[in-house]
Amino acid sequence: MTEAALKVRGVSIAFGGVSALEAVDVDFPEGEITGIIGPNGAGKTTLLNVICGMNPPDAGDVLLKDRTITGLRPNRIAALGLRRTFQSSQLFAGMTVLENMMAGLHLMSTTGLFGAVLRSKRMRAEEEEMRERALAALDFVGFRHFANRTGDALSFGQQRIIEIARTLIHEPKVVLLDEPAVGLSVNRVAELDALLRRIRDERGVTLVMIEHVIRLVMGVSDRVVVLNSGRKIAEGLPESVRADPAVAEAYLGHRTNARAPSQ
Amino acid sequence: MRVLIGKRAFLFALFVLLFVIPWVANEYQTFVANLILLYVILSLGLNLLIGFAGQLALANAAMYGIGAYGTGLLMTHFGLPYWISAPGGVAIAVISGTLLALPALRLSGIYLALATLAFAQFTFWLMTHWTPVTFGAGGFIPPPIDFSPLPVTQETGIYYLSWAAALLLYVAAKHAMESPVGRAFVAIRDGEVAAQALGIDLLKYKSLAFAMSGFYAGVAGALYSGLLGFVGPESFDLLQMVLHKAAVVLGGMGSVVGSLIGGVLLTVLVEVTKEFKFSIEIAFGGLLIVFVLFQPNGVIVFVRRLLPGWTERLHYVPPDKESEEDLAAAPDPDPDAAPGPEEPTRAAAAGPRGGDPG
Repeated sequence: MTEAALKVRGVSIAFGGVSALEAVDVDFPEGEITGIIGPNGAGKTTLLNVICGMNPPDAGDVLLKDRTITGLRPNRIAALGLRRTFQSSQLFAGMTVLENMMAGLHLMSTTGLFGAVLRSKRMRAEEEEMRERALAALDFVGFRHFANRTGDALSFGQQRIIEIARTLIHEPKVVLLDEPAVGLSVNRVAELDALLRRIRDERGVTLVMIEHVIRLVMGVSDRVVVLNSGRKIAEGLPESVRADPAVAEAYLGHRTNARAPSQ
Repeated sequence: MRVLIGKRAFLFALFVLLFVIPWVANEYQTFVANLILLYVILSLGLNLLIGFAGQLALANAAMYGIGAYGTGLLMTHFGLPYWISAPGGVAIAVISGTLLALPALRLSGIYLALATLAFAQFTFWLMTHWTPVTFGAGGFIPPPIDFSPLPVTQETGIYYLSWAAALLLYVAAKHAMESPVGRAFVAIRDGEVAAQALGIDLLKYKSLAFAMSGFYAGVAGALYSGLLGFVGPESFDLLQMVLHKAAVVLGGMGSVVGSLIGGVLLTVLVEVTKEFKFSIEIAFGGLLIVFVLFQPNGVIVFVRRLLPGWTERLHYVPPDKESEEDLAAAPDPDPDAAPGPEEPTRAAAAGPRGGDPG
C-alpha cells in the first residue's frame, strides 16, 4: 500500500444526538481508487461532508497529505487540492458548460474586480488560458462539442460526466465522488468505469467513491471500505471485502431475507 | 422574421440619443431622460446583487437614499463642495451596503429579504425622525452645485455627469460579469455548496456583491440630490424599492443589458402612469406580479429570441472569436445533444434514489 493522500482519524459526528459516524479511521492511498460502500444511512455521504469541510466533525481529524484540514471552510479545503461531486447534478444552471468548467478554475484567477472591470492584460490572458484549459478538460471526457450549451440541454448522465471533468480541471490531489453512477444506464456505467481508470492512471488523482452499483465499485476500486451504522466494519481488497461475513450481514441482515447489495 | 440589430449598435444609438436630448428636448423631457439614466444605474446595481449573485435584498432604495442624504448633508452641514460630498455619500452607501452582507452570510431567501427590509425601514425612520441631522420629514435643500469653470447650469452638469456615470457603470458591470467575478456570483446563486466546493469564497463574493450594489445605488443617490436640488425621505420609501425591483425584473434578472432596457422602460412607464393619473403602486405592483408569474426573465428573453447576438457571456472572449462562439452556441440537430431514449432524464434519475442520504 502506498502512502495515504488522505487520512481520516477517529472521526465522530452526531446530528441532534443521533450519531452518524463513530470513531472512523480510514486511509486513502495515493493514486488509488477507494470505494466506500454500505447500506443506506451508513454514514457514507456524511463522511464525505466531513472530509470536504461541510460538516466539521465533533471529534477526530482529517489530514490531506500530512496537513490537518479539520475545521477549515470548504473553499479553503478546495484550494488545498480536494474536490468533490454531489449525489444530484450540481452544474450551475445559469452558465454554459464551458463557463461551468471555467468556474472550476476560479482559484487560478489573480486579478480581482478591478482587473476585470478594466480588462487588464493579465485578466484577458488568464481568461484565455482558463478557456483553453476548460476546452482541454472537456476533450478529456470527449464533450468539447457541448462547450457552449447550458447544462439543462444535456442528459443527466452527460451532466454527471461534465461534473467529474470539472473536479479534475484544477489538478486536484484528491477527488471525492458521491454516487457517480446514480441514474446511469448500463452502457454509461461501463463508460464511467473506463473514465475512472483513466483519471487514476493518466492523472494520478486519488479517487474516493461512494457507490451503490456493486459491479462498478468492486470492479474499479483498488480498495473498498465498508461502513454500517456510522462505523467502519471492513476494509481491504474488493475480493476480501466481498468474502467478509460482517459485510454480508450488514447488507443481508442476520438470518433474514432482506435485500442483497443491488446492482 | 429576424431583424438584425446588433447589441453594440443599439447601445451606441441609445447613448448618442441620450447625449443629444438636452439640446433638442424641453426641460421636462430632459429631466425624465436624466431619471432614465439614474434608473439604469440603480437597476444595474440591484441586478448584480439579486439577479447575478442571487441575494434577495430589499434595501436598494435605502442605499439610494443614503447616497443622496450623504451627499446633501455633507454639503449642507460642512459646506463641502459637491466634488467631495458626492464621493463621500457614495462611500457611506458602499459601507452600509457591505455591512448588509453580514446577515446575508447566515440568512437567505425570504429571511434575508426581511432582514434587509428592516434595515431599509430603519434608514427611512432615521431620515424622517433624526431631525437635527436629516431635517426630518420635510427634507432639505442642499446648496447649489457650482460647475465653474465649466459654462454649464446645474441641470446640464448633472445630466452629463449622469450620462457618463451610466455609461461607465454599464461597461463596468458588463466587464465584471464577463470574468471570474461574474462566474462566482452566478455560482453562488445557482448552488452555494457546489460553489464553495470549487473554492469560491462566499464571504468575499457576497460582500463584493453587496458593496457593488451599494456603490451603484450611492452614485445614483448622489446624482439625484443634484438633479432635484432637494432631498426628502419620501423619495426613498418602499415604493422606490418596488420600482427598482420592477426595473430589474422587467428588463431581465441576471442580464446586464436587460437592466439597461429595464431602467429605460420603467422610467417611461412611471411617467405614463403619472400622465394618466393612475396609481403607481397598483401599476407597478401588478406589473411585477405579472412578470414574476409569466416571464420572470424579463423582456430580454424576447429580444434574445429575435436577435441571436444578444446572448450574454460569463467569460471574456477576444473580439475576433466572438462570432465563432455565437455560432457554436446556436442549437443544432446533433443527436448527442438531446437525451436519448435509453438515457434517463434528470427527473427520472432523481426518482427513488435521488434523495438517499447514504
